[in-house]
Amino acid sequence: MIVPLSHVLAFAGAMFFMGLACVLTRRNLIMILIGVEIMINGAGLALVGGSAFWQQVDGQVLVILLMALTSAEVSISLAMVVYLQRSRGTLNANRFKEMSG
Amino acid sequence: MKAQLLFLIPLLPLLGAAVNGLLGMKLPRAVRGGVAVAAVAASFAVTCLLWPLGHGEGTRTVLGTWLAGTGLQADFGILFDPLSASMALMVTGVSTLIHLYAVGYMNHEEDTARFFALLNLFVFAMLTIVLADNLLLLFLGWEGVGFCSYGLIGFWYAKLENAAAGRKAFLVTRVGDVFLAIAVLWLFAALGSVGIPEVNAGAGQLAPAAATAIVLLMLAGACGKSAQLPLMTWLPDAMAGPTPVSALIHAATMVTAGVYLLCRLFPVVALSPPAMAAIAMVGALTAFYAATCALAQREIKRVLAYSTMSQIGFMFIGVGAGAVSGAMFHLFTHAFFKALLFMGAGCVIHLCDEENDIFRMGGVKARSPFVFWMFLAGGLCLAGLPFSGGFFSKDGILLAAFSQGPGWLRIAWLLGLVSAFLTSLYTFRLLYLVFAGQPRRKLHKHTLPGLMLWTLPPLALLGLGGGLLNLPPAYGGGEALHHYLGGLAGLPLVVDHATEFALATVAGGLFALGALAAWGRYRAFPGDQPNRVKGFLLAGWQADALVERSLLRPFKAIGRFCWQGLDVTMIEGILGGFASFSQRQGDLLRKLTDGRLSTYLIGFVWGLLVLLGWFLLVLARH
Repeated sequence: MIVPLSHVLAFAGAMFFMGLACVLTRRNLIMILIGVEIMINGAGLALVGGSAFWQQVDGQVLVILLMALTSAEVSISLAMVVYLQRSRGTLNANRFKEMSG
Repeated sequence: MKAQLLFLIPLLPLLGAAVNGLLGMKLPRAVRGGVAVAAVAASFAVTCLLWPLGHGEGTRTVLGTWLAGTGLQADFGILFDPLSASMALMVTGVSTLIHLYAVGYMNHEEDTARFFALLNLFVFAMLTIVLADNLLLLFLGWEGVGFCSYGLIGFWYAKLENAAAGRKAFLVTRVGDVFLAIAVLWLFAALGSVGIPEVNAGAGQLAPAAATAIVLLMLAGACGKSAQLPLMTWLPDAMAGPTPVSALIHAATMVTAGVYLLCRLFPVVALSPPAMAAIAMVGALTAFYAATCALAQREIKRVLAYSTMSQIGFMFIGVGAGAVSGAMFHLFTHAFFKALLFMGAGCVIHLCDEENDIFRMGGVKARSPFVFWMFLAGGLCLAGLPFSGGFFSKDGILLAAFSQGPGWLRIAWLLGLVSAFLTSLYTFRLLYLVFAGQPRRKLHKHTLPGLMLWTLPPLALLGLGGGLLNLPPAYGGGEALHHYLGGLAGLPLVVDHATEFALATVAGGLFALGALAAWGRYRAFPGDQPNRVKGFLLAGWQADALVERSLLRPFKAIGRFCWQGLDVTMIEGILGGFASFSQRQGDLLRKLTDGRLSTYLIGFVWGLLVLLGWFLLVLARH
């Protein structure tokens, strides 16, 4: 392995927390979804790195599943985003609080 | 003669009650009253026909077994001996006249079916007491008269105070009943039997202390039914019922039951001299108390109610002095003239436009001389006119108390003398206020139904001539009742004729003194001059207030403490506290789910931070 695992993990962690920061600070639904994607990618990177380091294929398999899951999630999320934009005329996440307890 | 025919005596009134109770509203008005009168009159006729069965030892007969268990045997059994036979004759006879009177009196009432059913049931319950051959059956009748008095005193239940008076009578007499029930159970536990002859025969086995306790318990029961101190507060209020009911309660049933009980079980009573002294003292104090109260009453029926209490007190003195025949003698004469007085009072009330207040009457003699003469006859018996029935019976009791003394009985005798004077005074006060002078109020013209008038003369004759029932030898009589009762007549009385005449002279003097005092004060209406003493006596020595303060208020306070102090504050407070605490916590938690995406996301992050922190901790420890 050319790149040391610590570098990969540090990079993956940085990606994860940058995505997290995006999710927490943004109010726009699309930006929140993008943040979630970045977080998932960070997690996937860590999995691939670990898989290469230990010469085990499990992590890579998991990443493939992750990508399938993500594409499904993105397609549904985008459909909801379009629906919400049409019905409410806004994508501000704070405006959608009808499900309060 | 078949002994079981005796059961017709109580069962005929029961049959009358059943007919009126089940079918009464479908029957014409005349038939309802007719059935009731016929039932009681038939019962009277049967008593007369079967009279020979009661001679000597009497007759005991059983219809069936009511209760049988380990050692316990209570039958539907009748004991028809001189005591119960003479009592049954008086009960049925006087009740018949009262029923006849009631038909006239209740002429304009709506639901006479209920009235006559209860009236008949009342007589049935009283006859059960009188004729029962065991204490449990007696107790059944004892409760029966309590129930019927409740229904009849509160007969006009649409007015709340009438219903309250009925309830009060029921509850106050129930207090006494509890004591009687204990006495009956104690007697059964001690003697193994509840049959009255067995109890009377075996009473000698009782330990002296147990006998005293049992007699005192029976005295408490008798006090409740006979309205003696301290359970007397229900009787003045019982005047809320229709007048025939008052006559029935005061003359033939209910209040005489207590005296009859003590006479019936006299062999037990006689075992305990302290308890007999207690009986005499209760009677004497009640006689005095009620006589003073009667002095100040304004309602005609309340005067009579207090006089009943007072006269029953005399009967208790008689029992306490051991003179069972004397007590029964006074019971009989009192039944006659008190029924007469109440029925006369009903006539007076009708004549005065349903007015009860004697201060607003006056001049009734001119309106109805017949009622006046009848009422006067009753009043003279009550006041103790020499040679009337009331005079002989009261004199007999005072004589017994005097000659059996000294000690407590002498005090009872003195109180009795004072009460006799007061009796004369308040009786003539009543007579003057009601009948003398001019009417103090404008009145309409009334005619009384014949049934209300013609039932009075027989009672007047019986009352005035009642002395012949038990005329003492000093006056040339043979003490018929005393000899008839035989072994049941109580302790023998040894007294010389000089003492007897001296006491009779004193009694006659007190009668004259009371009459004179009333003449001086009331021959012209003095007007209403209320003062504190009169107010005190009018309220019956504030007995109701005393009961209210000493019993009811503490009881209510305890009730309120249990309800508001314990139940509401403690139990519901703790449970409510738990509930509202949980609710508040739930509300706090509910705020977390505010529906905002960012809140949930921040929740995730905090979770993540906790997990990471945990991992760091674990790492740091290795």
